[in-house]
Amino acid sequence: MAAEDLPSEFDVVILGTGLAESVAAAAFSRVGQRVLHVDRRSYYAANWASFTFNGLLNWIQQYHVNELQDWSSLLEDGEEVIYLSNPDTASIKNLQVFCFTSEEDEKEEEASSSTPTNAAEDHNINADEEAVKESSETESAGNTVTNLLVAIDCIISEHSILYNPCNSPENVPDTARVSKTGSYFYLRLMYSRGSLVDLLIKSNVSRYAEFKNVTRILTYRQGKVEQVPCSRADVFASRQLSVVEKRKLMRFLTSCMEETEEQMAYHGRPYSEFLRDQQLGDNLEHFILHSIAMVTEHTLTEEGLASTRNFLQCLGRYGNTPFLFPVYGLGEIPQCFCRMCAVFGGIYCLRHSVSCLLVDKDTNRCKAVIDSRGQRISCSHFVVEEGYVGPERKRVATPPRFISRAVLITDSSVLSSNSDQQVSLVTIPPIAAGCAAVRMVELSSSTMTCMPGTYLVHLTCQSSGSAYEDLSPLVSRIFCTPDSPDQGNTQNCPSVLWCLYFNITDGSGLETEGHDLPSNVYMCSGPDGGLSHENAIKQAEAIFSKILPDEDFCPPAPNPEDIIYDGDATASAEGEDKEGEDKEGEKENQDKLEEAVLTEETVQTATATSTLPSG
Amino acid sequence: MAGGSVSECKEYLFKVLVIGELGVGKTSIIKRYVHQLFSQHYRATIGVDFALKVINWDSKTLVRLQLWDIAGQERFGNMTRVYYKEAVGAFVVFDVTRGSTFEAVSKWKHDLDSKVKLANGSPIPSVLLANKCDQKKESFNSKVLMDSFCKETGFLGWFETSAKDNINVDEAAHFLVDNILANDKGLPYEESNGDRIKLDQETVAAESKPGCC
Ligand SMILES: Cc1cc2nc3c(=O)[nH]c(=O)nc-3n(C[C@H](O)[C@H](O)[C@H](O)COP(=O)(O)OP(=O)(O)OC[C@H]3O[C@@H](n4cnc5c(N)ncnc54)[C@H](O)[C@@H]3O)c2cc1C
Ligand SMILES: Nc1nc2c(ncn2[C@@H]2O[C@H](COP(=O)(O)OP(=O)(O)O)[C@@H](O)[C@H]2O)c(=O)[nH]1
Ligand SMILES: [Mg+2]
Repeated sequence: MAAEDLPSEFDVVILGTGLAESVAAAAFSRVGQRVLHVDRRSYYAANWASFTFNGLLNWIQQYHVNELQDWSSLLEDGEEVIYLSNPDTASIKNLQVFCFTSEEDEKEEEASSSTPTNAAEDHNINADEEAVKESSETESAGNTVTNLLVAIDCIISEHSILYNPCNSPENVPDTARVSKTGSYFYLRLMYSRGSLVDLLIKSNVSRYAEFKNVTRILTYRQGKVEQVPCSRADVFASRQLSVVEKRKLMRFLTSCMEETEEQMAYHGRPYSEFLRDQQLGDNLEHFILHSIAMVTEHTLTEEGLASTRNFLQCLGRYGNTPFLFPVYGLGEIPQCFCRMCAVFGGIYCLRHSVSCLLVDKDTNRCKAVIDSRGQRISCSHFVVEEGYVGPERKRVATPPRFISRAVLITDSSVLSSNSDQQVSLVTIPPIAAGCAAVRMVELSSSTMTCMPGTYLVHLTCQSSGSAYEDLSPLVSRIFCTPDSPDQGNTQNCPSVLWCLYFNITDGSGLETEGHDLPSNVYMCSGPDGGLSHENAIKQAEAIFSKILPDEDFCPPAPNPEDIIYDGDATASAEGEDKEGEDKEGEKENQDKLEEAVLTEETVQTATATSTLPSG
Repeated sequence: MAGGSVSECKEYLFKVLVIGELGVGKTSIIKRYVHQLFSQHYRATIGVDFALKVINWDSKTLVRLQLWDIAGQERFGNMTRVYYKEAVGAFVVFDVTRGSTFEAVSKWKHDLDSKVKLANGSPIPSVLLANKCDQKKESFNSKVLMDSFCKETGFLGWFETSAKDNINVDEAAHFLVDNILANDKGLPYEESNGDRIKLDQETVAAESKPGCC
């Protein structure tokens, strides 16, 4: 862990450890490029990161002011400077935290822990007056379930949020009930098919990752949470659907796999209209539109059909629903690519940034970067996370879009079943005209994200206001909070123990081309609201093929298990083995893929829930 | 990480980490142990996560030991979680000729314990290696001091090793595996993580898995 100087020359310097940057790092390193990969944060995965509960509290708490330093003394003739900025400043805003714990628990906690802390004080952030008032109202209502302890309302706009590993974890608020194992922040699912899964398999990076399948898909309708039948067996076993509906649904799902003339006739018209004309009935229309296609009333037929097909194709690949959840969160995935990069010689430094770029005035190329320690490092190419690039350099066609997010810790499931280990995706259509559809994911302790007996819930939608404005009305309907309308009637709904609201930039709304940047500087955007993650993979691949058009993108890494040395064929064997392995590995993978496709042609039925067009 | 059993023979797969400062001899120790090789100058290992050593532990037990080297992330100590994931044992290595590498040992141990735990929540067994003992000078810490350091820091024990002269490398590995096996008796890996999915093993279980309700 010694801090020593870095080599002074690399082929590619990459700033930011988000998915696109990490995939690019792995791809370059894999084909022998010398890669330096840095991030100014203390953790991997940038805006894709997963945190422990304590880590998350730290993230909320830590502020770090970005001081501009003058490195102009390191300039050579004919060079000018582009300063970089702090990525967290622009991408996260409207952060609000509420902590509710029951009075009983509080007593227990007081008995067991000697230092019940007031988080508002510890965090040095002013408690929101209004929220505190709410808390007293709740108390006077005599409610035994919740009591608002803390409300933190801070707007992060001028400071970055930084997890500081030197800060002792002692002054963590009294969250014994909710924390322990850790609750992960950027929870995201992924479709079991698509660029990301293909790339993980093709490159052998999948060996570093483990997944769980989402176990059920739910939807919220007429104030109730219902299960959406997810496989052929589910459809037939379903008690919500009539026999006629079952037949209709199976027929529809089978028929929509192929493009028909009837479908073509609806191109340019809403998918909801197409569905209505299929005479499926309200139930099925709802399931298909909101839970399978996961689109809105206004989505066009061609797009709706494409989404429906994608859902059906993903179904059954690894389990009963089309969605995968990386164990420990999606933040693991960029790290898998970073590991691959490191294994092939890439050098990693966290808490280490690039302060500025040195640009040759004549060629408009970035010749070198100056890192945050003032070292000049030459590079042929520079790849950067969008957030580090100042707004004055960006071409902004449309105002940046945001996603509203909420993270809750609750005490029971929104739909109890005979297993308390479900992973559920809940699609929630707009609750009122003009509202966005919301995608909700509920994780049980089986995902290693929360303590037994608690659930971690993530809500996501396109922002129209702040995350709190967008999502809290829904939260107070589905869950029991001090804001819930009918306090007397809450025995059935899960209580919220802790929640966090924030807005984050929507990566899909960001242009990656056409900015005022040197020709060998490439920009990557952050996560978008979608589940496919196609965007990040495409960006990495595009950057790679621009720089190395003739090289293979992430060819399979040799499987170390297959490299067996038995004493004599050693040292040099490494290089040779690699060549041989590459080809075999590739072939094997292809075989596997084909097999998978073959086993899947029978269309199963399903229904899922989730929204957010990734357009 | 226990494997299945063929008739009477039990097969185990263990991921073991080899961590420590740059240049202390991690790669050399792995090469010595797995490939019976030592070289003063060889190029950095590129493209290989781990080296595999197959041990016929006894007549009934086969152990496949994956020794994970730390690749390009060691320089600044920023390991990804991916590296630590599912490890069941670790060697922390320092260089007896460079005091600073010993000082970094507790940092590495701390990083290790904060990033991976056994299924039962206890830290993974780890062994401290005082490498390059062939170059040992008089001033090296006394055995008593080392023993108490190990106790305080949570190491099972320590060995003076030399990758160059092949001293104690096999012994240290044997000691660690012995401890891992003792831990493993308690909790078979398959049982606790049975429903996890590896992408390259798809659809095997799609049908056999219990449905969603
Ligand atoms: C994304 C992710 C992936 C994981 N993957 C694995 C895995 O593959 N295998 C596995 O066994 N475990 C994994 N874990 C669990 C992890 O390695 C630890 O075992 C777990 O975080 C320890 O939890 P704990 O309850 O003991 O928390 P603690 O160890 O008490 O605290 C953990 C948190 O406390 C805070 N903290 C601790 N020390 C400090 C400090 N000095 N300064 C500031 N804050 C501090 C941090 O926020 C830290 O995240 C993962 C965790 C995360 C977040
Ligand atoms: N004398 C001596 N030199 C060693 C020993 N082990 C490693 N070295 C040397 O120390 C240097 C660094 O070793 P290496 O295995 O690359 O260290 P790593 O960075 O920890 O992987 C190399 O020059 C090795 O030859 C040892 O036991 N004795
Ligand atoms: Mg090495």
